[in-house]
Amino acid sequence: MEVFLKIENITKQFAGHTALDDVSLEVPRGCVYGLLGPNGAGKTTLIRIINHITAPDKGRVWFNGHPLSPADVANIGYLPEERGLYKTMKVGEQALYFAQLKGLSKAEATARLKKWFVKFGIEGWWNKKVSELSKGMAQKVQFIVTVLHEPQLLIFDEPFSGFDPINANLLKNEILELRDKGATVIFSTHNMASVEEVCDHITLINKSKNILSGSLDEVRRSHGGNIFEVDFRGDKESLVGALAGLPCGLLDESLIADEDKENHSERALKIHIERDEDVRSVVEVINNTVQLRTFREVIPSMNDIFIQAVAKHSAK
Amino acid sequence: MGKIKIIAEREFNERVRKKSFIITTILMPIAFVAIMFVPALMMNISSDEKKEIIVVDQSGMVGERLQDDGQMMFSLSDKGFDTLKEENNEVFGILVIGEDVATNPSNVQLFTYESSTINIESAITEQVRNIIEAEKLKQYNIDDLDRILGEIKTPVSLQVKQLNESGEAKDSSAILNIALAYVFGFLIYMFVFLYGNMVMQGVIEEKSSKVMEVMVSSVKPFQLMMGKILGIAAVAITQFMIWVVFILVVGAGAMSLLGGDELLAAAQASAAMDPAMASMSGAEMSIDKDAAALINTITDPGYLVRILGGFLLYFVGGYLLYAAMFAAVGSAVDNEKDTNNLQLPITIPLILALFVMMSAMQEPNGPLAVWFSMIPFTSPIVMMVRLPYGMPDGFWISVLLLYGTFLAMVWLAGKIYRVGVFMYGKKPTLGELLKWARYKS
Repeated sequence: MEVFLKIENITKQFAGHTALDDVSLEVPRGCVYGLLGPNGAGKTTLIRIINHITAPDKGRVWFNGHPLSPADVANIGYLPEERGLYKTMKVGEQALYFAQLKGLSKAEATARLKKWFVKFGIEGWWNKKVSELSKGMAQKVQFIVTVLHEPQLLIFDEPFSGFDPINANLLKNEILELRDKGATVIFSTHNMASVEEVCDHITLINKSKNILSGSLDEVRRSHGGNIFEVDFRGDKESLVGALAGLPCGLLDESLIADEDKENHSERALKIHIERDEDVRSVVEVINNTVQLRTFREVIPSMNDIFIQAVAKHSAK
Repeated sequence: MGKIKIIAEREFNERVRKKSFIITTILMPIAFVAIMFVPALMMNISSDEKKEIIVVDQSGMVGERLQDDGQMMFSLSDKGFDTLKEENNEVFGILVIGEDVATNPSNVQLFTYESSTINIESAITEQVRNIIEAEKLKQYNIDDLDRILGEIKTPVSLQVKQLNESGEAKDSSAILNIALAYVFGFLIYMFVFLYGNMVMQGVIEEKSSKVMEVMVSSVKPFQLMMGKILGIAAVAITQFMIWVVFILVVGAGAMSLLGGDELLAAAQASAAMDPAMASMSGAEMSIDKDAAALINTITDPGYLVRILGGFLLYFVGGYLLYAAMFAAVGSAVDNEKDTNNLQLPITIPLILALFVMMSAMQEPNGPLAVWFSMIPFTSPIVMMVRLPYGMPDGFWISVLLLYGTFLAMVWLAGKIYRVGVFMYGKKPTLGELLKWARYKS
């Protein structure tokens, strides 16, 4: 895993409160990195530090192997959560203006913009005023402006807000495509379902601290608590009896599924296996006792993990 | 630097293309002329209407010798004051001259039906005084009194020449000096306010529409601020240049249509509005003589370069200094309503400068004018008073101070701006603004 962006022990204080407290994280190259956390946790401050808008009090940022410098900003595309366009300007002119501020020449920017406008099916908007656009339409333009200069690092803060499901999906695919082309994406959101869909890695920030980091799979598995769901056909009592002597526990809630599936003569159990090395022997016993249909690990949703982790950290 | 240019270009193009730019470009000169000259012209018009005054002369000495003038008409009455009062004539007022007026000169009373004016009061006083003085003189029984008085009368006409460093004497037109000082000082005042406000509104718009949030990842807040200030400066200069051309065309047209004298008279009347100026221009100033001086003055290239060059230097410097302050205020608030308190430190020095300019006209190189033409916050306006009277002492020091303060102010404003643009929902005080300036970036 090659690290593209490295945040090293960043601390940032504002008058009266600490926005970031000794936060470190590593963003691998070419992945979508979810930056999660409750409101006011310090995400926006961290993003602003990466964007060189504010400077940290302590700590360092490494960008593509060297300390972050103001010149790197040209290699970053940032779509802030709070975003706006000049209302009285025309869409095309405005997109050109932002592109030029990112260092593109006028001709280059025009060519690329035309391509993107066609891609998003908005060629007809070029000469429209921004005030005539709906929120979702304006968001599309902003997305284009963010990625137009083909930066190595893209930062999206709540990119899907204001989009209908169809356009949100379009945008999601664009983000994944940009990643596949080699861009590194930082993705900040409260929408956990979209995190599961697009993120490869995540970091959870709560109360100015990094409380959870890792690849999405790792994080979800580590929060799984080694719970497995067993679907089977056969006698439940005999299975429970057979499992009694093994290093695993039955979970009470699992029995509910039993009643529902009576007609299909299919039953389900939720069991907890403490140690990974015991999984095989447990499966063997189950397989010998009943007709095993499904055996899978129950992986908690990001939503559950988020709430759990924040509650646990806040309680400390 | 490249980004500042891109930003400035956008500001310029956006504003110049707006309809409101074209409208203000047309309306501002009209409004300006109206503010400066219409009151003066109105005074001339209103004085055409003559006030009728009934005179009750108990001395029998003054009444019949009172003469009608441009503003008053006298009519003698045999009736007593009490009768007249009851008759309630439709006149301006009743002038009662006491029996012993020669020995008791304060026994002259004017009763009016409407409020009287200083002009009327002083004209009546003047006439009565002259009549009594002449009467008293007569009592000395001097032979040939009229002839002697006639010979004594000497109309003095002061020829003012200004010596330059090489000892050359040049005509100096006080009227032109005052008019130019007044116009240019006022122009700077108006432009600084108008365009400073434009900067502030632009910043507020960017902040409240959250365009700022998008911008700050590609440009430094300082570049954003400088781009805006410079772009709007270009708008101001463009507008000014349009007016210069406009004024030259209209001025040439007016000169050929009306002739110089009438324009001069209007200018003089306007100058006379201000008591400070009136004392300089003086009632006895001969228009013909002044016209010659005016033409000599205005065709002097050194004079023109000094006035116009100085104007541009201070116009740009003053705008830049104040625009930086306006930008800082704009960055600190969410909407225009919240700017009132923060604008005070900007408007107070500006208005002060305007008042100092008015009084400095009496003594263009007096201590008041000199000091306030050195202080950068007032110098752009106050220096306009000194410029027409030759190269002012300390001119370049003042210019350096102005531009130096501008740089310091931009630095300070940039620091406030940087913090302010990310502050929402707060209504900061001036103290907080200054605290922001001390934040680390």
